[in-house]
Amino acid sequence: MGQMSTQSRRKPGRLLAVLVISAGLIGAACGGDDENSTTTDGGSTPVSETTGPGGSDTTAATATTAPPPTTAAEEVPVPGGKVVFAIEADTSSPWRPSEMVCAIGCYQVIRNIYDSLVMPNDAGSWSPYLADSVTPNDDYTEWKITAREGVTFHDGTPFDGAAIVENLTRAKEGILTGNALRPVETIAVDPADPMTAVVTMNTEWAAFPFVLIGQAGMEASPTWLAASDTDDTLKSKPVGTGPFVYADYKPDEVFSMTKNPDYWNSPYPYLDAIEFRPIPDALNRRDALKSGTVDLIHTTNGETISEYRENTDLPMVEISNNAETGFTLLHVTQEGSPLTDVRVRCALAYASDEQLLIDTIGAGISQIAFGPFSPTQVGYLEHTGFPEAQDMAKAQELIAAYKAENPGELNLSLATTQDQTNLTIAQQQQQWWTEAGVDNVTIDQIDQGNYIVTALLGNFQVFQWRNHGGFDLDQQYIWWHSSAAPPVGELALNFGRIRDPQLDALLDENRASTDPDRKKAIAEEVNQLFGTQCYNIWGSYTIWGILSKPTVHGVNLFTLPDGAQAPFGAGFAGTFYPMTLWVEQ
Amino acid sequence: MRYVTRKLAQTVFVVVVVTFLTSIALRFLPGGTDVIVALKTGPGATPEQTAKVLEELGLNKSLLGQYFSWLKDFVTGDWGTTFRTNQSIATEVKRALPVSVYLMVYGQIVALGLAVPTAVWSAYKQNSRFDRLATTSAFAMLSMPNFIVAPILILFFSVNNKWFPYPSLYTSLWDDPMAHFKAFALPTITIAIPLYAGYMRVLRADMIGTLQSDFITTARAKGVGTGPMLFKHALRPSLFSLVTSAAVNVGALMGGVVIVEQVFGLNGMGRLTVQSVIGREYPTVQYCVVILALIYIFINLLVDLAYAWIDPRVRASRALG
Repeated sequence: MGQMSTQSRRKPGRLLAVLVISAGLIGAACGGDDENSTTTDGGSTPVSETTGPGGSDTTAATATTAPPPTTAAEEVPVPGGKVVFAIEADTSSPWRPSEMVCAIGCYQVIRNIYDSLVMPNDAGSWSPYLADSVTPNDDYTEWKITAREGVTFHDGTPFDGAAIVENLTRAKEGILTGNALRPVETIAVDPADPMTAVVTMNTEWAAFPFVLIGQAGMEASPTWLAASDTDDTLKSKPVGTGPFVYADYKPDEVFSMTKNPDYWNSPYPYLDAIEFRPIPDALNRRDALKSGTVDLIHTTNGETISEYRENTDLPMVEISNNAETGFTLLHVTQEGSPLTDVRVRCALAYASDEQLLIDTIGAGISQIAFGPFSPTQVGYLEHTGFPEAQDMAKAQELIAAYKAENPGELNLSLATTQDQTNLTIAQQQQQWWTEAGVDNVTIDQIDQGNYIVTALLGNFQVFQWRNHGGFDLDQQYIWWHSSAAPPVGELALNFGRIRDPQLDALLDENRASTDPDRKKAIAEEVNQLFGTQCYNIWGSYTIWGILSKPTVHGVNLFTLPDGAQAPFGAGFAGTFYPMTLWVEQ
Repeated sequence: MRYVTRKLAQTVFVVVVVTFLTSIALRFLPGGTDVIVALKTGPGATPEQTAKVLEELGLNKSLLGQYFSWLKDFVTGDWGTTFRTNQSIATEVKRALPVSVYLMVYGQIVALGLAVPTAVWSAYKQNSRFDRLATTSAFAMLSMPNFIVAPILILFFSVNNKWFPYPSLYTSLWDDPMAHFKAFALPTITIAIPLYAGYMRVLRADMIGTLQSDFITTARAKGVGTGPMLFKHALRPSLFSLVTSAAVNVGALMGGVVIVEQVFGLNGMGRLTVQSVIGREYPTVQYCVVILALIYIFINLLVDLAYAWIDPRVRASRALG
């Protein structure tokens, strides 16, 4: 099929190397459409069609019957060898699924240790992965998850219904993951089948399996979980069922793993070992690859991606399907904040020149965004009502109108990471907004490890951010619904604390709906709401480049046990599957 | 002996002051102990969790009680775990310390190894072409900060020519000596360049003075060869300023190590300290600071004690009281 070529060099993305928040908590970024699926409803395959009880009929594949890998015809994978993969950050806290605060680097690492119960597929839907089947009742208020036979965790603990219950229960109780599982009422082993867990809901929830793509669906050994309850040091030595086994973890230095020789999804993995090394600065990461010290990197840096579109010394695969959107996140309900006023929010948008940032800092590779949904996502619109070009006069007018009603200084605090590119963008924004009439814009640089936590706690006004990949609006529920917006100081996935009854109503209606046309209309309405309310300042759609030495191969898709194709992203835009990697010996 | 005792007493006093100030530093953070509790437990801590954290860190005790509790933990190696990753702080420091020590030692060895012969020969051949070249190049090296030198070295030796790894992935000397030295090569050169320049100039100046001394003239008159005259008779009494400079430079070296480790991605004490400061891992910062301070204090103690060996005149003056 030539996945590499179809994934490469086509859709623009977003330069901003800002933090990816844990979309995988709910499988928000479940890429899936290939380049031919360019219609806005390409990913809107009705959940009811693909997740119905019949879905389980297609899920009988087992380890021994797993289909062969889908590498290009001329590439014959060679087992063995080791790869050093430089990632953008070491962002996890304890490596327990219910506690991880995961950005993309974390996801790229930990999915090698933990398998998810479910994976997204190229039909824009989901397929069972570690689970043998995931089956709802007629009204989607009860789901049965059956464990794949014959799978054991790395420590020898059997994977069964009890393990699923243990992991889902912890996820339900987790401060972060609990948000994603709020509709879940009970989780128990099926009395009729010890390999099956039964999950009941307090509402109809057809899209529930998408949650199982991410953290909430990752399966850790119950034995290890219990042991790590009383021994904190064990929390950073994860035990799962994945293709690689934990070997060593040194924070901010290295996470190394060795091949799981008993991996159920044979013939993966090909590598004997893999090592992840965080190098936060994008250009340093590129230089590390150029120097030959690392074998593989991922990047959203426009300069690097642009360079290697021309220079083929280092092969590059681009991933942009169902991409996340880079944007400036605003805290819109903080008491006393000028950002509660739509005029100030839209003034910041009018004052900004995102295209200039794309062209100058992003090497022109990205497509400007006017809303949260990228072109292959449901709800994408070319025009949303969001300011599409810089209009400083309009911005000044809006700020002046606000100040006329609200005397005193108008000050803003803008948070960014320690990446130099992001700082440059922040400084540009500072200049624009000051010109628009904001009296003071202070820039606060925060390390990536604390960046997410700061957002979760709501201790910010303006934040550089990247999120909202995926295709079903339900996957955005926890980021935007007021029920996910507790007061500042409490952890919230609705970081900007948006509390909009109209938005809530649309999200609730979408969750209950199985009509694809209606779901598309709702998503578009949400997009327009974001455009007119200026809840965020949209930047551009993210594009990821995976660069490697010429001797490294296998940045490929692979076939899922049910025969569907697993897309890049796998619940987290920009990620791929290191188990498919192989190196020339 | 009295001199040694006095120096040891001074050192103990400084150690007590340093450790005391470090141990109580947590109390004076903006936001107070609430911040520590929030960082350790995450938001929404129960009263029991709060009490446990305060107990663990000794924050529920008096200042003196906190100090002794901290000192006991420090001595016994019970340093607790990091907030974010639950790693043992003692393990983290134990892992990072050798990296920085290697870097500092290698930097000093390279700098001194080059500075001593260059300075000696420069002084002997004062105002010669060699001397002018050595002095001018030393000035140039002093004016090159290591955050400029490092990227140039990386670009040329790592990115363009792939001779040395970047980032400098630490490998134990005993596991793979070649990989070890390759990893440290560029950071060591970066550290050593300004040190070399400083040492060369200091030693050259002292050597010029020594070479004009009467005992050197006498040695020459007795027919002592150039080599023995320079390295046996003139060098030793000229080392006083160099040793002082080398000791004082340990402090500067630690600062340099922080920058160099960051640039080269070496996970030593400097990088651990910076990452801990950024990550608000305050207890880790405490232990890093106190370890670095102790290293500095003890190196200076050793240097003080070494003066007497280096220059018999010091011994004589101290003997006279």
